[in-house]
Amino acid sequence: MNSKSETDEASRGSEASSSKNPAPNNSEEEATSSLCTGTVTNRTEDIMKRAAARQLIERYFYQLLDGCGNPNCDNQYCASSGEARNLSPNEAAAEAIKLFYKEARLCDTLPNKVPRTEASGCDSSASTTCNTASGRDKDDNKDKEAASTTLVVRESTSRQEEPQTSHNLSHQEESKTRSHNNGAPLTEERMYELCEECLQSKVREPLIRALGEAFTQPAILARCFASKGGSSSDEDANMNEDKESKAMCLSSDPDKDVDSVAGPELDVASCRRAFQYLAKVPSEYYSSALVTSLKTLADNMCIDLRITKKMSVEDAVNCFVIAFEVPDLGCSDYLEIALPALCQAAEHLPLKGQARLARIWAQHCKDSLRHILETLQQLITLRVISTNYTRQFQVQDDEVVTMATKFMKIVYYANMLAGVMEPNSLREEPIVLSSQQDPLENVLGHLYPPSSIKASKNLQPDDPLAIELDINVLDARKPYLPFEEFYNEPLSDTIEMDIDFGNFKTEISKGKKFAFLRYPFILTVATKSLGLYYENRIRMYSERRVSLLHAVVGAAPPMPFLRLKVRRTNIIDDALVGLEMVAMERALDLKKQLVVEFEGEQGVDEGGVSKEFFQLIVEEIFNADYGMFTQQPDSLTVWFNMTSFETEAQFTLIGIVLGLAIYNNVILAVNFPMVVYRKLMGKKGSFEDLADWNPTLYNGLKDMLDYTGSDLEEVYYQTFRICYQDVFGNAIFHDLKENGDNIFVTQENKREFVEMYSDFLLNESVDTQFKAFRRGFLMVTDESPLASLFRPEEVEMLVCGSKNFDFNELEKSTEYDGGYSSDSQTIKDFWSLVHSLSLDDKRKLLQFTTGSDRVPVGGLSHLKLVIARNGPDCDRLPTAHTCFNVLLLPEYETKDKLQDRLMKAISYSKGFGML
Amino acid sequence: MAATRRLQKELNDIRQSGLKSFRDIQVDESNILTWQGLIVPDNPPYNKGAFRIEINFPAEYPFKPPKISFKTKIYHPNIDEKGQVCLPIISAENWKPATKTDQVIQALVALVNDPEPEHPLRAELAEEFLKDRKKFSKNAEEFTKKHSEKRPTD
Repeated sequence: MNSKSETDEASRGSEASSSKNPAPNNSEEEATSSLCTGTVTNRTEDIMKRAAARQLIERYFYQLLDGCGNPNCDNQYCASSGEARNLSPNEAAAEAIKLFYKEARLCDTLPNKVPRTEASGCDSSASTTCNTASGRDKDDNKDKEAASTTLVVRESTSRQEEPQTSHNLSHQEESKTRSHNNGAPLTEERMYELCEECLQSKVREPLIRALGEAFTQPAILARCFASKGGSSSDEDANMNEDKESKAMCLSSDPDKDVDSVAGPELDVASCRRAFQYLAKVPSEYYSSALVTSLKTLADNMCIDLRITKKMSVEDAVNCFVIAFEVPDLGCSDYLEIALPALCQAAEHLPLKGQARLARIWAQHCKDSLRHILETLQQLITLRVISTNYTRQFQVQDDEVVTMATKFMKIVYYANMLAGVMEPNSLREEPIVLSSQQDPLENVLGHLYPPSSIKASKNLQPDDPLAIELDINVLDARKPYLPFEEFYNEPLSDTIEMDIDFGNFKTEISKGKKFAFLRYPFILTVATKSLGLYYENRIRMYSERRVSLLHAVVGAAPPMPFLRLKVRRTNIIDDALVGLEMVAMERALDLKKQLVVEFEGEQGVDEGGVSKEFFQLIVEEIFNADYGMFTQQPDSLTVWFNMTSFETEAQFTLIGIVLGLAIYNNVILAVNFPMVVYRKLMGKKGSFEDLADWNPTLYNGLKDMLDYTGSDLEEVYYQTFRICYQDVFGNAIFHDLKENGDNIFVTQENKREFVEMYSDFLLNESVDTQFKAFRRGFLMVTDESPLASLFRPEEVEMLVCGSKNFDFNELEKSTEYDGGYSSDSQTIKDFWSLVHSLSLDDKRKLLQFTTGSDRVPVGGLSHLKLVIARNGPDCDRLPTAHTCFNVLLLPEYETKDKLQDRLMKAISYSKGFGML
Repeated sequence: MAATRRLQKELNDIRQSGLKSFRDIQVDESNILTWQGLIVPDNPPYNKGAFRIEINFPAEYPFKPPKISFKTKIYHPNIDEKGQVCLPIISAENWKPATKTDQVIQALVALVNDPEPEHPLRAELAEEFLKDRKKFSKNAEEFTKKHSEKRPTD
């Protein structure tokens, strides 16, 4: 870029500002209204002057070291021109200061260092500045003379800069020279005055100017709406009275006290009230100016946080809090310009600052969380929908989306903190798996580095922000907003999971690529499960490779698969014996692809046979007659039989089966209460878990907790002895505390009783069984990112599928093959028939065509059902390939015949046969 | 007998209170969770006999409600052929752990004496009860004479 024309432009810009003077009377008005805060203003201005100087020196410094990036640069003080000699950073710093005083030439395009303002932003900030600048020229000449000499220096320097920077600077000059309220931090009272004034006079300039000045400068904004605790001048006292009366007539504010206690510098309630006044002013008066200011603010913060580091973390956090309290501006510019810039600035916020922001939000801004989240979601959705991503430009490369996602993480944690958290002491003991060593690892180590096989183990460290906040998603009993609101479906649908998974895996070593899998809260279960699927498949293949390698060196016979051969009549015993052998001898084999073979049947396992295998196993094992699990009559869930006779090994094997189902992407018809999944993920059961484990019991206990009378002892007559029943219905008594029969439950210890009781029911009484079960589960899943990607509720969806039978959805997503189309008569008949089926028959149809009567994650549309024509009308029954969800349907002549054949097929199907 | 304090106390209280309408309480020594007893209604047509009921307490009692069933057949709109009875006070939704068993029994006796045809378990009896009270009373009386147990004499 040609620097001469640049300079011209800049000077033209400032000439223009002094010649245009639309509202002379305004400046006078302000001058009088703001005399009182003159001293404060001067101090902040000093700070800002220095900051601006530092910013300029900074630019010289980088120009000397890195250059402006323009290959045709002819500036002798720029590294890009080739004329400047190579400098060490120290020399460059000294040189930069000299250049600053010399007002040497500054190139325009500095590489990434100076944020650029949009053209529109430039315009409006210019007009803001002009008013005041001209006002100053006329009215404040004396002030100007009194201004320090450095100001003069900078003023001339600024002419050589790009226009937007010059505006910023003239801002500062002007606020320095005029004794105006506008340069000082905004207060609630000032905002109220401005809004009133604006509403009455219909003149927007004073309001816009005040907003612009406060919002463009992080250092000022950070001190807006400060708590009144420290200051004690008369004025403040008056204002406080004023504020109190105002607050009272506005609305009762229960949070107010809490707010002023914990927020040492920022009074969030006051800030919120101020924006409530603002919201009464028609938004077209100020919205575009505010958007521009926010954008400038974000850009300035970016520099302050990243380069100059002159800003304290607390100030930066205050700025974010205020910026996100801004009411809905109702203009697309906010989403397109201001918000992305803010997200970008937040990225440079140090970890401590992010944590602080999350905490402040959780404590003081609960009500704003929904708005913040919705705006972020809008931004992401809008961006995703309007952008055409290609293989070259993935959504992972789109900074707008990724920065918003990163920012949403802060909201995500704030949302957890704002909700109900449980103490993190309630953890299941970690289970150490000893049998995971590959006996041949040492031998083969040089051939096949074990690190590449076990790459994923412990390689996914916990999120640093979570550590900083000391927070775990398992402890979030009830988040303030439901977790589902963080899902972004358009984004989830857009993501190419193979790319994202690749980024997820390489990120650690290279530290570059963005992977949404690191932000699993934004992804729907269906999308994440695809990521898990890749992970599992890759592991299966690598295990398969290792196995072949073993075979090559002659160490072991090739066993590329986890092969199970079972008899249909004896399925449980065969499976358990088979798996037990594997678990004992070579637990690593569990991570191979499962291949099931029914003895005497021809089915080749491409997935369908193992589906049926799991189905049959689950049916039998969870049958109460089998004795390992009991049915909970209230909630229709199954639970570990606490008086089971089965050995631990049996439960371990059930855990393996569950793990294998997830690992091999099979949906199981198990109905565990949620607490089982929470426990599997490492969180102990507690009282709140009883709510879906045994609702009636939960309500009974809650009733006691809610009882406030002092006669609780007599009314409930409950001691610390409780009773449970074994499978045969015999009552067994258990003392929760030593001598529990003589300790009565009172108002004082009722909470303790409830907690001990829950702990006994959910943890202690099934400890042996559950530990064995979990061990088995972890044998298969310990190295998978399951725990880091999925919350317990999502794991349940993975295991059981979603519970929504929407056959209309299925019809829409079904594809046709072999001559059928959605218009074929047989197909039309088929669907009208299916829709008229009972729920039970629909389940049977699903079972028949897919091998499972559960709905896959994401609903029936994810089933990818294919209906293929299987010849003309004949007497054959319909058949199915369960592995691929294909239904083979002969083109039956009549609907009645179709119905007859279909019902026969789905009612008498079990087993595999080649036809 | 091993038991929780609450059940033991309720059993003693109820035995000592000498309820006229609920007598002959039997509890198996090995299982305090199951009680049996005789309901002795005062109102016609059920005052011609007595009815044996069983109360089953869940292990989690009193945090979960007991269940009541009739061992003696009874011709009653709110009690079905299997002896199941729908008593709001012990439904899972309404249950309060502070409720004592004698209150439950009083509610049950009241229901037997005054059927609630608005919430029937046996719709046909409820209809008969509402439309032809005479016929209902006659049938119920005959049924009671035929199936019910003898009333205690005291």
